[in-house]
Amino acid sequence: SSNTASSSAGAAGSGDSSAARKNSKRPKYSKFTQQELPACKPILTPGWVISTFLIVSVIFIPLGVISLFASQDVVEIVDRYDTECIPAPARTNKVAYIQGDGDKVCNRDLKVTKRMKQPIYVYYQLENFYQNHRRYVKSRSDSQLRSTKYENQISACKPEDDVGGQPIVPCGLIAWSLFNDTYALSRNNVSLAVNKKGIAWKSDKEHKFGNKVFPKNFQKGNITGGATLDPRIPLSEQEDLIVWMRTAALPTFRKLYGKIESDLEMGDTIHVKLNNNYNTYSFNGKKKLVLSTTSWLGGKNDFLGIAYLTVGGICFILALAFTIMYLVKPRRLGDPSYLSWNRNPGGR
Amino acid sequence: MKRFVYINDDEASKELCCDNRISNRKYTLWNFLPKNLWEQFSRFMNQYFLLIACLQLWSLITPVNPASTWGPLIFIFAVSASKEAWDDYHRYLSDKKANEKEVWIVKQGIKKHIQAQDIQVGNIVWLRENDEVPCDLVLLGTSDPQGVCYVETAALDGETDLKTRVIPSACVGIDLELLHKMKGVIECPVPDKDIRRFDANMRLFPPFIDNDVCSLTIKNTLLQSCYLRNTEWACGVSVYTGNQTKLGMSRGIAEPKLTAMDAMIDKLTGAIFVFQIVVVLVLGIAGNVWKDTEARKQWYVQYPEEAPWYELLVIPLRFELLCSIMIPISIKVSLDLVKGLYAKFIEWDVEMIDQETGTASYAANTAISEDLGQVEYILTDKTGTLTDNKMIFRRCCIGGIFYGNENGDALKDAQLLNAITSGSTDVIRFLTVMAICNTVLPVQSKAGDIVYKAQSQDEDALVIAASKLHMVFVGKNANLLEIRFNGSVIRYEVLEILEFTSDRKRMSVVVKDCQNGKIILLSKGADEAILPYARAGQQTRTIGDAVEHYSQLGLRTLCLAWRELEENEYLEWSVKFKEASSLLVDREWRIAEVCQRLEHDLYILGVTAIEDRLQDGVPETIETLRKAGINFWMLTGDKQNTAIQIALSCNFISPEPKGQLLMIDGKTEEDVSRSLERVLLTMRITASEPKDVAFVIDGWALEIALKHHRKDFVELAILSRTAICCRVTPSQKAQLVEILKSCDYRTLAIGDGGNDVRMIQQADIGVGISGREGLQAARAADYSIGRFRFLKRLILVHGRYSYNRTAFLSQYSFYKSLLICFIQIFFSFISGVSGTSLFNSVSLMAYNVFYTSVPVLVSVIDKDLSEASVMQHPQILFYCQAGRLLNPSTFAGWFGRSLFHAIIVFVITIHAYAYEKSEMEELGMVALSGCIWLQAFVVAQETNSFTVLQHLSIWGNLVGFYAINFLFSAIPSSGMYTIMFRLCSQPSYWITMFLIVGAGMGPIFALKYFRYTYRPSKINILQQAERMGGPILTLGNIETQPRTIEKDLSPISITQPKNRSPVYEPLLSDSPNATRRSFGPGTPFEFFQSQSRLSSSSGYTRNCKDN
Repeated sequence: SSNTASSSAGAAGSGDSSAARKNSKRPKYSKFTQQELPACKPILTPGWVISTFLIVSVIFIPLGVISLFASQDVVEIVDRYDTECIPAPARTNKVAYIQGDGDKVCNRDLKVTKRMKQPIYVYYQLENFYQNHRRYVKSRSDSQLRSTKYENQISACKPEDDVGGQPIVPCGLIAWSLFNDTYALSRNNVSLAVNKKGIAWKSDKEHKFGNKVFPKNFQKGNITGGATLDPRIPLSEQEDLIVWMRTAALPTFRKLYGKIESDLEMGDTIHVKLNNNYNTYSFNGKKKLVLSTTSWLGGKNDFLGIAYLTVGGICFILALAFTIMYLVKPRRLGDPSYLSWNRNPGGR
Repeated sequence: MKRFVYINDDEASKELCCDNRISNRKYTLWNFLPKNLWEQFSRFMNQYFLLIACLQLWSLITPVNPASTWGPLIFIFAVSASKEAWDDYHRYLSDKKANEKEVWIVKQGIKKHIQAQDIQVGNIVWLRENDEVPCDLVLLGTSDPQGVCYVETAALDGETDLKTRVIPSACVGIDLELLHKMKGVIECPVPDKDIRRFDANMRLFPPFIDNDVCSLTIKNTLLQSCYLRNTEWACGVSVYTGNQTKLGMSRGIAEPKLTAMDAMIDKLTGAIFVFQIVVVLVLGIAGNVWKDTEARKQWYVQYPEEAPWYELLVIPLRFELLCSIMIPISIKVSLDLVKGLYAKFIEWDVEMIDQETGTASYAANTAISEDLGQVEYILTDKTGTLTDNKMIFRRCCIGGIFYGNENGDALKDAQLLNAITSGSTDVIRFLTVMAICNTVLPVQSKAGDIVYKAQSQDEDALVIAASKLHMVFVGKNANLLEIRFNGSVIRYEVLEILEFTSDRKRMSVVVKDCQNGKIILLSKGADEAILPYARAGQQTRTIGDAVEHYSQLGLRTLCLAWRELEENEYLEWSVKFKEASSLLVDREWRIAEVCQRLEHDLYILGVTAIEDRLQDGVPETIETLRKAGINFWMLTGDKQNTAIQIALSCNFISPEPKGQLLMIDGKTEEDVSRSLERVLLTMRITASEPKDVAFVIDGWALEIALKHHRKDFVELAILSRTAICCRVTPSQKAQLVEILKSCDYRTLAIGDGGNDVRMIQQADIGVGISGREGLQAARAADYSIGRFRFLKRLILVHGRYSYNRTAFLSQYSFYKSLLICFIQIFFSFISGVSGTSLFNSVSLMAYNVFYTSVPVLVSVIDKDLSEASVMQHPQILFYCQAGRLLNPSTFAGWFGRSLFHAIIVFVITIHAYAYEKSEMEELGMVALSGCIWLQAFVVAQETNSFTVLQHLSIWGNLVGFYAINFLFSAIPSSGMYTIMFRLCSQPSYWITMFLIVGAGMGPIFALKYFRYTYRPSKINILQQAERMGGPILTLGNIETQPRTIEKDLSPISITQPKNRSPVYEPLLSDSPNATRRSFGPGTPFEFFQSQSRLSSSSGYTRNCKDN
């Protein structure tokens, strides 16, 4: 007769029928349903913890040393040229100079302080340049770059989207502000070949930038931004553009300009004839030319090595400290006398 | 407003439209979607997420693809909508079942079988015994010649005793045949929900009776959901139907219960929301400033000179969107999911199956398991909850001779059996009283056995015992009783029944022995109601001793008495009695007075002792839970002495000198007030003493106390760890729950009967025992269990684990959301405060939905301590009760951890991936994988027990992360094409990951170890003890204290044979000793020697309230 009551129970009625049903069914036994799965219950014994820290420090310190060595092995020549490449009289108004007409050729000499094995990468480094700015980073059209079919997909590219109703290819602020300083390197008056092929990611060339997409209306707007592109060369071959379009996440960044495929000897002087075209002066951005070899860890960067040494060192100190604490003031784990309800009535 | 119901007149009743269709449904097929959406959007969290999702549609400000919010949002809505739909479907099914039940009605003079839903107002409905009343009826006729019928109203008001209902005076004497053709009109109020009131008039149309208006009261009604009992048939005219019945009007959708933990999570969410607003404002202003000072110089960004009016809002809104992930959208879904699993664990638990009946536990409310771990007060019913509700006659004392003392069972006492066979007068009279001084109805079952139908379990026990002692009550035919004794049949004619009332505390019958015509008065009742009326000269001392002795054993006693009446005396009295019975004013009082005139000069036969056996494991359960810092209140309808005895025998209160019992009583407001003040004073003084102080109050005093001295009573409630409330009504039980709740305590109410339903619904957690008194309590409850002792497991194991797990899960959810949000914030400082997202849309969405939610879900099977050690050290529940694992300070810890980890990930990433490597997609993925690695280790570190599932989900999730990203990296059109392949082939990527893990986890690991070893929490100590093996057992030994009350009843009588009044006497004497004790010099020692649970627990509770 318990079922007949279901109507009466009102809101609880729904619970009733299922209660009756559930009650009649015995739960099935399994380790999971009984929450009795075999479990490993580690506890933090001093031995365990101290050895963990020791092991970590034993691994981290050598790794740090290795990383540091790798970084030290890298030979790097950095030359900041933004101010130097402006003639002294024009330095009061750099922006006017860089925006003015005329040849802005500048000659720089770089000393090779250590033998550099090929390949030697040539980078340009910009500082205080926000390629990651929200307005900038979104101002591109990936589909337009990939295929002519999507030539008109320019909605994201504002304000560099079209010229007189005609879409710009490649559109957007990123492409528009393409870096346009150029470098010509020579050693002992013999020009040094800088290979500008293969500086972009292969995947970008093959899949992101179409080989049938040609620049159109580029830099034809009211203001000219950076470099111009040869409209006869498809985007997939415009490697400078492809490199530039891989936006940097940090305001200080290096982009690959080319590769030198011969060794440089110690004491060599590299003469650079550069065309200083790109305006970083209006926002006090630095421009640097970098020649660098690489290691298995990449370019010259001491950070990882130092960080590893620091962490390893801290772990070692912690291990030491814990050992001393353990020896000086040993505590029995799980001592029942620590349970306050056994010890004092305060309970706190 | 009045309603006119025309009996048996279909035409006239048509306008009253509604049929008897019951509907508990919340939705219909048509309004489901809009109504459900409306309900969901009335919740703040959902409004928030909807706002965020809408903002994301504005491409100017959205950092990511809108799908990253819309997807999860729609998923969450779909999940809760389908849950609602499922529940509503079940309500529909149960309504349908009730609506389609077949009933007999009379239509146009013909009896018809129809479905319950087709009953119209004005129909005459016929009911048979044990039928459920389908709608509200006015009684017209019953099988009883007096027009009486019995109903059980438990489903309506929770009272389990049978109630008498009578037909209206106008209907008396109407022939069965004529009932079919009856016509008339009932003038009744419009439907309301007052189940105690029905003020209506009825007028029958000719030819039945003259035009007199007959007034109707609630006594003349049969209300929906009651059951017809002990009456062959009854019929009535329906006045309210369907959802307009008294029950239908009073039922509401039960309010969803919110756990303390949910409230805390909501509070923390609010805090995070405020934090988010602050961050957004600061960054928004900074962004606008940077834009105007710096960004205008950055020619390549081409900020226009002329900006639209909303330009100022753009950057703050972008940050709002970036920071919106601070509040994890997944937390609600994860919590619902794990809560469902907690409930399943309760249902699956084989250790909570009642072996006797095979009933498993059932969790009707899946949302409140955490609250079980935070219970501070348990309010328990007595009969059927603590006890088995199986009354068994155990001992008796007849004429000063004790039977059953040796073997504990008088039925097997050879001495008694001998006395019966030898025909001792006293013994035979004693048995006669046992057999017939009652209102029991013997029913011959089909098999030929005699089944007794009794309103009270005690009478049932007595009659059964008598029959086992060869005095078999065979049959009752109108007023003729038949008893078989040793083969001979004895007949008695019942002349009068002097009913039991709680004031008189006794009942008597006057019978005429049909053999010799003697008129005899048989009485039974409480000792204080019988002994004073003993015949002059009879020594009642031994009887008093016997009562004392039995009640110390926790047995329920009744005194039986006998007197032969002279015929004249009876006749004379009978006239007065009839007179009193027909009085309209003061009837009850007058009857009592008249009865008194007959019930004197009694010859006391002896005392019966009935055992209401405690359920298995009740004392242990109560002791364990009290150790766990849970306060117990016993709320019972039973009388004070029995309640106290039961309380003693199940460790509820301690006997002197460890415990003290304070009485609050009094019949007038003044008395109660004085008594209350005195108790309060004593409580305040003894608050610091290691004493178990409890107060006892009865329903009457409680009524007064609640009405006039609510404030004092609340203070008392806070001070007192234990209370016994006897003779309380269901609504008083609910009121007490209300009071404790208003003091911000978590309450759990447990009961088994219909009279506990209101308290169960009122409490934070209602637990029903699916026991003998039916399933009403279990049905209304959030959890139903088979036995009281399962409560221990329910709270200590399931409640505690649920609390711990949810505490981790919820804080972790915030941790991981904050982690990624902090990184975005840091990144904004190096991206010109312009609101660029470092992570791509896919990663952001998958981070919340997959990468971080899977490993943490497995924490639902994590166990910090084994069940055995929790059971051995129930004190550990303090941590849950006081909310030590989830409160603003633990949350601050997690907040700090996420800030620290965000700094680690961000700093390491931007330095390791500087210069030529600083490509946006790569850097984003490095930072993201750093977060994933860290969170895997964080989960691993916070996991206490690693099962296969834990390993699988934590490390499998890492593998899954790479698998998903490889997949995306293989799609040319996705933004992260080839990124992950590139990264994974770089040694520097892996070296960076290890560095992040080492730097991120090292300090946290060290801190944890330091705390674990040098500042261990009690949980840590137990973990260590448990896992080192060994000492746990000695721990247990330290705990055990000499148990003063044993489960078995007999030892008590040995240990305290001399102490006549073991518990409640000494204290409430106004003797200064009682109060001065605490200032005595001995007190401090006592204080330190024994554990003062009182002060410690109150310390705890206060702490948690301060938090």
